[in-house]
Amino acid sequence: MNNLDYRVAHLRERLAGGPLAELGVQVAVHGDSVLVTGTVPSSHCRDEIGRIVGETLTGLTVRCDLVVAEASSPDQAEELA
Amino acid sequence: MIRIAAVGDIHMGPDSQGVLRPAFETLPDCADVLLLAGDLTRHGTPEEARVVAREVKDLGVPVVAVLGNHDHHDEQPDEVTAILQDGGVQVLEGQETVLDCGRGRVGVAGTKGFCGGFAGRNAGEFGEPLMKEFVRYTRRCADGLRTALERLDEQGCDARIALTHFSPVPDTLAGEPLEIYPFLGSYLLAEAIDTAGADLAVHGHAHAGTEHGMTSGGVRVRNVAQPVIGRAFHVYHLQVPERVPTGTPAESAG
Repeated sequence: MNNLDYRVAHLRERLAGGPLAELGVQVAVHGDSVLVTGTVPSSHCRDEIGRIVGETLTGLTVRCDLVVAEASSPDQAEELA
Repeated sequence: MIRIAAVGDIHMGPDSQGVLRPAFETLPDCADVLLLAGDLTRHGTPEEARVVAREVKDLGVPVVAVLGNHDHHDEQPDEVTAILQDGGVQVLEGQETVLDCGRGRVGVAGTKGFCGGFAGRNAGEFGEPLMKEFVRYTRRCADGLRTALERLDEQGCDARIALTHFSPVPDTLAGEPLEIYPFLGSYLLAEAIDTAGADLAVHGHAHAGTEHGMTSGGVRVRNVAQPVIGRAFHVYHLQVPERVPTGTPAESAG
């Protein structure tokens, strides 16, 4: 099964159904390259997703632009008048 | 003024214990209540729920939550709820709570909610039993939210907040693929909010969405999914009528 669309769909199922339960990551195909974007809860999640994507989409150029969720307090509040 | 802190989709697991605690410990300085808009865990296991409970225990402000779809994945929502309650969290599902914050009485009505899509592009209660049950479940969640908001109205709150995990409006989904909007929320939640009335609606679930939106009835909506707000929480200042000090002529005349 080489169709890239199906491989990406199965990758998303693997990310959702695996230990990370990751449904918030976007996987976009650009020609022979795949761009993975989104925000994940920890650096462990980011590294694991990168590993799984590379393992699942062998032979493709994969760019993982995932960021780890910011855990700092806000600088200001929003006034709802 | 009532200060509302809110965040959703913190997706905690054993490896994230303590990540949010330093920011949460600043809450007594900047907020009167913390709202958690669901998806507090990754799989909804008791172990993950205990991580969340420890993260928010004894913060010095009340913590009110709804569960999200991730918190249901292990099919133990009652156990997850009980663990969070042991940690001092009020978990709402078709229920409400009134908090006297000193600055005013704020009522929070909550439901996880569910999907189905938005007016004109929504699933209908028609056809196969599974499809009908899909829509009916969303309708039950929305009815629970509406009746909880109506009960808050009878209790004379200074401000009422609708807390959900799924989105009541499409506005705050901007950035998500259009094709998945029907899985991100339902107009039935917005209809419930507009029918009963609220001062603010807070939800999570849409990680790639945007923060600001509004219902057709003019109720402000905020998507507080952590990836959207990019912080441990956001704070909203809700203006409420000033309280008249005890013993003044205005009160005795009432």
